[in-house]
Amino acid sequence: MGATSSSPDHTITGILGSRLDPQWHDRLHHMEHHGGIDLVRLDTRDLSRRRLRVTSESGADCMIALARDEPLFDGAVLFADEAHAIVLKVNLERWLRLRPTSAEDALALGYAAGNLHWRVRFRGKDLEVAMEGPEQGYLDRIPDLIESGAVIVVAEETSSA
Amino acid sequence: MDTIDNIPAAETGTKPLGAARVGIGGPVGSGKTALIEQLLVHLAKRSISTAVITNDLVTAEDAERLRKGGAIDPARVLAVEAGACPHTVIREDPTLNIIAADQLDRLYRDLELTIIESGGDNLASTFSLDLVDWWIFVIDVAGGDDIPRKRGPGVLQCDLLVVNKVDLAPHVGVDLGRMLEEARSVRDGRPVVATNCRSGENVAAVADAIAEAVLVAR
Repeated sequence: MGATSSSPDHTITGILGSRLDPQWHDRLHHMEHHGGIDLVRLDTRDLSRRRLRVTSESGADCMIALARDEPLFDGAVLFADEAHAIVLKVNLERWLRLRPTSAEDALALGYAAGNLHWRVRFRGKDLEVAMEGPEQGYLDRIPDLIESGAVIVVAEETSSA
Repeated sequence: MDTIDNIPAAETGTKPLGAARVGIGGPVGSGKTALIEQLLVHLAKRSISTAVITNDLVTAEDAERLRKGGAIDPARVLAVEAGACPHTVIREDPTLNIIAADQLDRLYRDLELTIIESGGDNLASTFSLDLVDWWIFVIDVAGGDDIPRKRGPGVLQCDLLVVNKVDLAPHVGVDLGRMLEEARSVRDGRPVVATNCRSGENVAAVADAIAEAVLVAR
């Protein structure tokens, strides 16, 4: 193959284990005490990728290239030598919480969310939308519902991925 | 100090990786197939083993065009007939395309890159990351300089936005500089490349971006 534009510091073609695995837990703990743990942070949506180029918190350029049946997950150990390891950390997911003020408004909001292919979950009588961009970008898609007061924005929340 | 043993030798996986999968989507007539035709030339020059999957509604028109183009072994071009909305087979249920890509991985053990071209769609079209690792959205100058301002999910969410047919800007009254500036603005600075896929202008930059993002040196 022709050369990539620049060579990564690490090419990761397999996940070594989970930080929760007993055999890794103690070793990572030891490395952590000696400043040997580096993190790669990803958003939830990026976990589906099998090829991606990311920069770790300490600036290491990592090319992740996994087999199709090997998923990324929070706590995946991507690289390790005797003193250092790179571990995947999934960013907290941001949710936009929307509260319809009537059953009719709930139907309209549900229709809009489906039509816009938003990823949603339900919390009580509220609808929560997983945000993969700025909040305003989502509100701009349902201006009539927001401006009329048919749907109220509840304070943003975060949750573990 | 604790002893550290039994740590695997770091960075080597044992499973076959298969090819990287890159999606190319965008509105009808924006130049997706033309971009692929030009990309194939650049990728061949770099000796990158490539295959293509095209998606058409009920024909194999785009696949035939690429097969006849001479830039790729015709056997390395597969056609998926979507039979319905183009975004359905790249987002809601990409099974047909996944099967085709898996088939190419089995057929060509040296395969490094599979390009998956969506059928022409609208600005809301996006790829599932279960199907592709990275994706490009192609819009064109002649479609109107207001396209970036419409903030369609395709424009906002793609990994690389290609603004094609830049040569037409003076003929259709488009301020190209402003269009590109607005495109970068709505994408919060994520990459935008301006191309003319008829002449090949700036297609090398698209090939560079693909290599940088998903290709692994073997």
